[in-house]
Amino acid sequence: MAHPLPLSETSSDAALILAWQSGDEQAAAELVGRHARPLARFLAGAGAPEADVDDLVQETFIRAFRSVDRFRGQCQFRTWLLTIGGNVLKDFGRRAARRKVMPLDEAVRDVTGDPHEHAEASEAEELLAAGLQKLPRLQREVFLLRAQQGLEYDEIAAALHTTPGAARVHYHHAVRKLKEIVE
Amino acid sequence: MNDEARLENLAKRLGARAAERLDVEATARKVVERLREQPVRRIVWIQQTWLRIAAALVVLVGGSVVVSRLTPTRSGDSPAHGAHFVADDLNDLSTEQLRDVLATFDELVKSDSVAAPEGNTDLRDLDARQLRAVLRSLEG
Repeated sequence: MAHPLPLSETSSDAALILAWQSGDEQAAAELVGRHARPLARFLAGAGAPEADVDDLVQETFIRAFRSVDRFRGQCQFRTWLLTIGGNVLKDFGRRAARRKVMPLDEAVRDVTGDPHEHAEASEAEELLAAGLQKLPRLQREVFLLRAQQGLEYDEIAAALHTTPGAARVHYHHAVRKLKEIVE
Repeated sequence: MNDEARLENLAKRLGARAAERLDVEATARKVVERLREQPVRRIVWIQQTWLRIAAALVVLVGGSVVVSRLTPTRSGDSPAHGAHFVADDLNDLSTEQLRDVLATFDELVKSDSVAAPEGNTDLRDLDARQLRAVLRSLEG
Protein backbone atom coordinates (compact mmCIF):
# COMPACT_ATOMS: atom_id res chain seq x y z
CA MET A 1 0.00 0.00 0.00
CA ALA A 2 1.29 3.44 -0.87
CA HIS A 3 2.29 5.77 1.92
CA PRO A 4 1.72 9.51 1.65
CA LEU A 5 5.17 10.34 3.02
CA PRO A 6 8.42 8.47 2.43
CA LEU A 7 9.52 6.53 5.49
CA SER A 8 13.03 7.13 6.60
CA GLU A 9 15.25 6.65 9.58
CA THR A 10 14.16 10.06 10.77
CA SER A 11 10.47 9.15 10.91
CA SER A 12 9.30 9.02 14.50
CA ASP A 13 7.98 5.81 15.98
CA ALA A 14 4.58 7.49 16.20
CA ALA A 15 4.62 8.23 12.46
CA LEU A 16 5.61 4.65 11.71
CA ILE A 17 2.85 3.32 13.93
CA LEU A 18 0.31 5.48 12.11
CA ALA A 19 1.65 4.27 8.78
CA TRP A 20 1.40 0.65 9.92
CA GLN A 21 -2.16 1.23 11.11
CA SER A 22 -3.03 2.40 7.62
CA GLY A 23 -1.57 -0.81 6.22
CA ASP A 24 2.04 0.09 5.45
CA GLU A 25 4.12 -3.08 5.92
CA GLN A 26 7.36 -1.19 5.35
CA ALA A 27 6.60 0.86 8.46
CA ALA A 28 6.27 -2.34 10.48
CA ALA A 29 9.60 -3.59 9.10
CA GLU A 30 11.25 -0.28 10.00
CA LEU A 31 9.96 -0.53 13.58
CA VAL A 32 11.31 -4.08 13.85
CA GLY A 33 14.67 -2.86 12.56
CA ARG A 34 14.82 -0.13 15.19
CA HIS A 35 13.84 -2.12 18.23
CA ALA A 36 14.64 -5.78 17.60
CA ARG A 37 18.14 -5.77 19.11
CA PRO A 38 17.27 -3.95 22.36
CA LEU A 39 14.30 -6.29 22.66
CA ALA A 40 16.54 -9.33 22.13
CA ARG A 41 18.91 -8.06 24.85
CA PHE A 42 16.00 -7.55 27.21
CA LEU A 43 14.55 -11.00 26.55
CA ALA A 44 17.91 -12.73 26.89
CA GLY A 45 18.61 -10.78 30.07
CA ALA A 46 15.21 -11.76 31.44
CA GLY A 47 15.99 -15.44 30.92
CA ALA A 48 15.06 -16.35 27.35
CA PRO A 49 17.18 -19.23 26.05
CA GLU A 50 19.45 -17.88 23.34
CA ALA A 51 18.11 -20.39 20.81
CA ASP A 52 14.58 -19.03 21.27
CA VAL A 53 15.32 -15.32 21.27
CA ASP A 54 14.57 -14.90 17.56
CA ASP A 55 11.14 -16.56 17.89
CA LEU A 56 10.34 -14.57 21.01
CA VAL A 57 11.31 -11.31 19.32
CA GLN A 58 9.03 -12.13 16.40
CA GLU A 59 6.16 -13.09 18.70
CA THR A 60 6.58 -9.87 20.67
CA PHE A 61 6.37 -7.74 17.52
CA ILE A 62 3.37 -9.68 16.23
CA ARG A 63 1.52 -9.10 19.51
CA ALA A 64 2.55 -5.46 19.58
CA PHE A 65 1.41 -4.74 16.03
CA ARG A 66 -1.88 -6.50 16.61
CA SER A 67 -2.63 -4.53 19.74
CA VAL A 68 -1.04 -1.25 18.72
CA ASP A 69 -4.46 0.43 18.96
CA ARG A 70 -4.10 0.09 22.73
CA PHE A 71 -0.79 1.97 22.74
CA ARG A 72 -1.68 5.47 23.89
CA GLY A 73 1.79 6.94 23.96
CA GLN A 74 1.91 6.73 27.76
CA CYS A 75 5.56 5.71 27.36
CA GLN A 76 7.97 5.24 24.48
CA PHE A 77 7.06 2.57 21.93
CA ARG A 78 10.21 0.64 22.81
CA THR A 79 9.35 0.57 26.51
CA TRP A 80 5.85 -0.65 25.70
CA LEU A 81 7.35 -3.27 23.43
CA LEU A 82 9.68 -4.49 26.18
CA THR A 83 6.76 -4.97 28.56
CA ILE A 84 4.99 -7.03 25.89
CA GLY A 85 8.22 -8.99 25.55
CA GLY A 86 8.03 -9.70 29.28
CA ASN A 87 4.53 -11.15 28.83
CA VAL A 88 5.62 -13.20 25.83
CA LEU A 89 8.51 -14.60 27.85
CA LYS A 90 6.19 -15.43 30.75
CA ASP A 91 3.87 -17.36 28.41
CA PHE A 92 6.89 -19.12 26.92
CA GLY A 93 7.96 -20.20 30.40
CA ARG A 94 4.47 -21.55 31.13
CA ARG A 95 4.41 -23.53 27.89
CA ALA A 96 7.86 -24.90 28.64
CA ALA A 97 6.72 -25.94 32.10
CA ARG A 98 3.65 -27.70 30.67
CA ARG A 99 5.82 -29.57 28.21
CA LYS A 100 8.01 -30.57 31.15
CA VAL A 101 10.92 -28.89 29.47
CA MET A 102 13.56 -27.41 31.72
CA PRO A 103 12.40 -24.40 33.71
CA LEU A 104 13.36 -20.95 32.50
CA ASP A 105 16.04 -20.39 35.13
CA GLU A 106 17.82 -23.50 33.91
CA ALA A 107 17.10 -22.73 30.29
CA VAL A 108 18.92 -19.44 30.67
CA ARG A 109 22.09 -21.42 31.28
CA ASP A 110 21.35 -23.55 28.24
CA VAL A 111 24.57 -24.48 26.50
CA THR A 112 23.31 -24.68 22.95
CA GLY A 113 25.46 -22.77 20.50
CA ASP A 114 29.19 -22.27 20.35
CA PRO A 115 30.82 -23.52 23.57
CA HIS A 116 33.74 -21.14 23.09
CA GLU A 117 31.37 -18.19 23.14
CA HIS A 118 29.78 -19.46 26.31
CA ALA A 119 33.19 -19.78 27.85
CA GLU A 120 33.82 -16.16 27.04
CA ALA A 121 30.87 -14.99 29.07
CA SER A 122 32.23 -13.77 32.33
CA GLU A 123 31.44 -15.56 35.51
CA ALA A 124 29.91 -12.39 36.89
CA GLU A 125 27.53 -12.15 33.96
CA GLU A 126 26.44 -15.71 34.47
CA LEU A 127 25.91 -15.07 38.14
CA LEU A 128 23.87 -11.99 37.35
CA ALA A 129 21.78 -13.89 34.78
CA ALA A 130 21.14 -16.66 37.30
CA GLY A 131 20.44 -14.11 40.04
CA LEU A 132 17.86 -12.32 37.91
CA GLN A 133 15.90 -15.54 37.63
CA LYS A 134 15.59 -15.63 41.40
CA LEU A 135 13.95 -12.21 41.54
CA PRO A 136 10.20 -11.62 41.35
CA ARG A 137 9.18 -10.75 37.81
CA LEU A 138 8.47 -7.08 38.54
CA GLN A 139 11.85 -6.55 40.24
CA ARG A 140 13.62 -8.32 37.38
CA GLU A 141 11.90 -6.22 34.73
CA VAL A 142 12.41 -2.95 36.59
CA PHE A 143 16.09 -3.79 37.04
CA LEU A 144 16.56 -4.60 33.36
CA LEU A 145 14.61 -1.58 32.15
CA ARG A 146 16.69 0.66 34.40
CA ALA A 147 20.16 -0.92 34.37
CA GLN A 148 20.22 -2.56 30.95
CA GLN A 149 17.97 -0.26 28.91
CA GLY A 150 18.83 2.93 30.79
CA LEU A 151 15.24 4.11 31.30
CA GLU A 152 14.12 6.69 33.83
CA TYR A 153 11.81 5.70 36.70
CA ASP A 154 8.96 7.77 35.26
CA GLU A 155 9.16 5.86 32.00
CA ILE A 156 9.38 2.49 33.75
CA ALA A 157 6.44 3.35 36.00
CA ALA A 158 4.27 4.37 33.04
CA ALA A 159 5.04 1.14 31.21
CA LEU A 160 4.49 -1.13 34.20
CA HIS A 161 1.42 0.72 35.53
CA THR A 162 3.04 1.64 38.79
CA THR A 163 4.44 4.78 40.38
CA PRO A 164 7.98 6.10 39.97
CA GLY A 165 8.47 5.68 43.71
CA ALA A 166 7.40 2.04 43.59
CA ALA A 167 9.65 1.44 40.57
CA ARG A 168 12.57 2.91 42.51
CA VAL A 169 11.84 0.63 45.47
CA HIS A 170 11.66 -2.43 43.19
CA TYR A 171 14.97 -1.45 41.63
CA HIS A 172 16.73 -1.08 44.97
CA HIS A 173 15.36 -4.37 46.24
CA ALA A 174 16.63 -6.01 43.05
CA VAL A 175 20.07 -4.42 43.37
CA ARG A 176 20.38 -5.48 47.01
CA LYS A 177 19.54 -9.09 46.21
CA LEU A 178 21.72 -9.20 43.10
CA LYS A 179 24.71 -7.79 44.98
CA GLU A 180 24.48 -10.64 47.43
CA ILE A 181 24.34 -13.16 44.60
CA VAL A 182 27.04 -11.69 42.38
CA GLU A 183 29.46 -11.11 45.24
CA MET B 1 33.40 1.74 40.89
CA ASN B 2 30.65 0.99 43.40
CA ASP B 3 28.64 -2.22 43.43
CA GLU B 4 25.56 -0.69 41.84
CA ALA B 5 27.51 0.75 38.92
CA ARG B 6 29.25 -2.59 38.48
CA LEU B 7 25.90 -4.37 38.37
CA GLU B 8 24.62 -1.86 35.79
CA ASN B 9 27.69 -2.47 33.63
CA LEU B 10 27.16 -6.19 33.84
CA ALA B 11 23.46 -5.75 33.02
CA LYS B 12 24.32 -3.72 29.92
CA ARG B 13 26.37 -6.63 28.62
CA LEU B 14 23.66 -9.14 29.44
CA GLY B 15 22.01 -10.49 26.30
CA ALA B 16 24.48 -8.68 24.05
CA ARG B 17 25.48 -11.91 22.35
CA ALA B 18 21.86 -12.85 21.60
CA ALA B 19 21.25 -9.38 20.20
CA GLU B 20 24.32 -9.53 17.99
CA ARG B 21 23.32 -12.90 16.62
CA LEU B 22 19.88 -11.69 15.68
CA ASP B 23 19.44 -11.20 11.94
CA VAL B 24 17.31 -8.08 12.16
CA GLU B 25 16.38 -7.92 8.48
CA ALA B 26 15.31 -11.55 8.45
CA THR B 27 13.33 -11.03 11.64
CA ALA B 28 11.58 -8.00 10.14
CA ARG B 29 10.77 -10.00 7.01
CA LYS B 30 9.35 -12.90 9.03
CA VAL B 31 7.27 -10.57 11.19
CA VAL B 32 5.76 -8.88 8.14
CA GLU B 33 5.06 -12.27 6.52
CA ARG B 34 3.36 -13.55 9.65
CA LEU B 35 1.27 -10.41 9.93
CA ARG B 36 0.25 -10.85 6.30
CA GLU B 37 -0.57 -14.54 6.72
CA GLN B 38 -2.52 -14.06 9.93
CA PRO B 39 -4.44 -10.82 9.54
CA VAL B 40 -5.97 -9.29 12.61
CA ARG B 41 -9.33 -10.88 13.28
CA ARG B 42 -10.45 -7.95 15.34
CA ILE B 43 -13.69 -7.29 13.46
CA VAL B 44 -14.77 -10.90 13.85
CA TRP B 45 -13.83 -10.76 17.51
CA ILE B 46 -15.84 -7.59 18.02
CA GLN B 47 -18.85 -9.12 16.27
CA GLN B 48 -18.63 -12.22 18.45
CA THR B 49 -18.32 -10.10 21.55
CA TRP B 50 -21.38 -8.02 20.67
CA LEU B 51 -23.35 -11.15 19.87
CA ARG B 52 -22.47 -12.58 23.27
CA ILE B 53 -23.45 -9.33 24.99
CA ALA B 54 -26.75 -9.21 23.07
CA ALA B 55 -27.50 -12.86 23.92
CA ALA B 56 -26.78 -12.21 27.60
CA LEU B 57 -29.11 -9.18 27.56
CA VAL B 58 -31.91 -11.18 25.93
CA VAL B 59 -31.55 -13.89 28.56
CA LEU B 60 -31.51 -11.34 31.40
CA VAL B 61 -34.48 -9.30 30.16
CA GLY B 62 -36.48 -12.37 29.18
CA GLY B 63 -35.72 -14.03 32.49
CA SER B 64 -36.73 -10.99 34.50
CA VAL B 65 -40.03 -10.69 32.56
CA VAL B 66 -40.83 -14.36 33.17
CA VAL B 67 -39.92 -14.09 36.86
CA SER B 68 -42.01 -10.94 37.33
CA ARG B 69 -45.01 -12.66 35.76
CA LEU B 70 -44.61 -15.84 37.74
CA THR B 71 -43.96 -14.15 41.08
CA PRO B 72 -47.24 -13.50 42.94
CA THR B 73 -47.82 -9.88 43.97
CA ARG B 74 -48.12 -8.93 47.62
CA SER B 75 -51.47 -9.88 49.06
CA GLY B 76 -52.38 -6.31 49.91
CA ASP B 77 -51.67 -5.02 46.43
CA SER B 78 -53.82 -7.32 44.39
CA PRO B 79 -57.36 -6.31 45.47
CA ALA B 80 -56.49 -2.64 45.45
CA HIS B 81 -55.20 -2.88 41.90
CA GLY B 82 -58.23 -4.93 40.90
CA ALA B 83 -60.63 -2.50 42.48
CA HIS B 84 -58.89 0.38 40.77
CA PHE B 85 -59.25 -1.19 37.34
CA VAL B 86 -62.85 -2.25 37.96
CA ALA B 87 -63.68 1.24 39.17
CA ASP B 88 -62.17 2.75 36.03
CA ASP B 89 -64.09 0.30 33.88
CA LEU B 90 -67.36 1.06 35.62
CA ASN B 91 -67.20 4.68 34.56
CA ASP B 92 -67.01 3.55 30.97
CA LEU B 93 -70.08 1.31 31.11
CA SER B 94 -73.52 2.40 29.99
CA THR B 95 -76.60 1.98 32.19
CA GLU B 96 -77.64 -1.11 30.26
CA GLN B 97 -74.18 -2.68 30.60
CA LEU B 98 -74.11 -1.90 34.30
CA ARG B 99 -77.46 -3.60 34.66
CA ASP B 100 -76.14 -6.70 32.88
CA VAL B 101 -73.10 -6.83 35.16
CA LEU B 102 -75.28 -6.50 38.22
CA ALA B 103 -77.64 -9.16 36.97
CA THR B 104 -74.69 -11.50 36.69
CA PHE B 105 -73.61 -10.58 40.18
CA ASP B 106 -77.18 -11.08 41.31
CA GLU B 107 -77.05 -14.63 40.20
CA LEU B 108 -73.73 -15.26 41.91
CA VAL B 109 -74.23 -13.39 45.11
CA LYS B 110 -77.34 -13.54 47.21
CA SER B 111 -79.06 -10.20 47.36
CA ASP B 112 -78.98 -10.20 51.19
CA SER B 113 -75.32 -9.25 51.29
CA VAL B 114 -75.62 -6.40 48.80
CA ALA B 115 -76.01 -2.88 50.05
CA ALA B 116 -78.77 -1.86 47.70
CA PRO B 117 -80.52 1.46 48.13
CA GLU B 118 -83.22 1.23 50.70
CA GLY B 119 -86.63 0.32 49.28
CA ASN B 120 -85.27 -0.47 45.80
CA THR B 121 -84.79 -4.17 45.09
CA ASP B 122 -85.55 -4.09 41.36
CA LEU B 123 -82.40 -3.25 39.39
CA ARG B 124 -84.44 -1.93 36.46
CA ASP B 125 -85.60 0.96 38.59
CA LEU B 126 -82.05 2.16 39.38
CA ASP B 127 -80.32 4.87 37.39
CA ALA B 128 -76.63 4.71 36.34
CA ARG B 129 -75.34 6.45 39.47
CA GLN B 130 -77.20 4.07 41.79
CA LEU B 131 -76.10 1.05 39.77
CA ARG B 132 -72.47 2.15 40.06
CA ALA B 133 -72.90 2.56 43.81
CA VAL B 134 -74.29 -0.97 44.07
CA LEU B 135 -71.45 -2.38 41.98
CA ARG B 136 -68.82 -0.58 44.02
CA SER B 137 -70.33 -1.96 47.20
CA LEU B 138 -70.01 -5.42 45.68
CA GLU B 139 -66.32 -4.83 45.02
CA GLY B 140 -65.84 -4.49 48.77
